[in-house]
Amino acid sequence: MSILHTISKPPSSGLLESCLPLLKAGDCVLFIEDGVFHCINSNQLVDGNLGVKFCALTEDLEARGLRNRVTPLFSVTNTPGFVELCVRFDKIVNWF
Amino acid sequence: MSDQPTRKTFLVLSRQAPYGGYKAQQSLDIALASAVFEQDVIFVFLGDGVFQILSNQKPGAINAKPMGGALETLQLYGVEEVYVDQSSLDARHLTQSDLVVDAQALDNDKLVELINGADCVFNL
Repeated sequence: MSILHTISKPPSSGLLESCLPLLKAGDCVLFIEDGVFHCINSNQLVDGNLGVKFCALTEDLEARGLRNRVTPLFSVTNTPGFVELCVRFDKIVNWF
Repeated sequence: MSDQPTRKTFLVLSRQAPYGGYKAQQSLDIALASAVFEQDVIFVFLGDGVFQILSNQKPGAINAKPMGGALETLQLYGVEEVYVDQSSLDARHLTQSDLVVDAQALDNDKLVELINGADCVFNL
C-alpha cells in the first residue's frame, strides 16, 4: 500500500511537520499551489525519509518564480504527471 | 468642519504568499485605493508576504496575473514607503537581490515604530 500526499500551503502552515511522521518507503509527497515554497529548502526532509519521493508541480513553481530555485531533492512534474500519480498510488491524502 | 480632506496614515502588513489565496491581492488593492484617495500609505511585506516580490514569476502557467508587476505600481500610485522584513527574508533563505521591488529592509523595532505612527493598520 503506497500513499500520495499533497501539500498545498507554505512551510509556515506546519503541514509538512504533520505529514512527515506518517511517511513510509514507497510513498510520495507532491507539493502543489503555495506548497511549492517548501522546495527552496530541503534540510528538514533529508533525514530519515529514505525511499520517499518528493515532487513539485512545475506550473506552480513557474508562477511563483521558483523554477530555478528547486533543490535537487525534488523531482518536478506537470499537470498530466499529477494525474498519473493520482492513478498510480493506492491512496491520496491532501494536506491543506 | 474643515473643507480639507482628512489625511491619515495607513499601514498595510501583507503576510500571505501570492496566488494561493486572495489576501495578497487584497492588501495591494487596499494600498492602491487608499493612495488614490490621497492617504499616506506604508506597505510592509512580512512573513510569507515576501514571496510576493520574488523575481521571475510567470503565473501564466496557472492563469493568474503577475503580482510582482502589480506591486511595482505601488510607487506609481505614490506609495513611497515600501518595506520588507529582513528576518522574514532570512528565515526563507532569500536576499534583497532575489526581489523585484526596491524595498527597504525592516527590523522589529522599526515595525513597532511604524505601527505606533499609523492611524490605521491593515494586517492580512
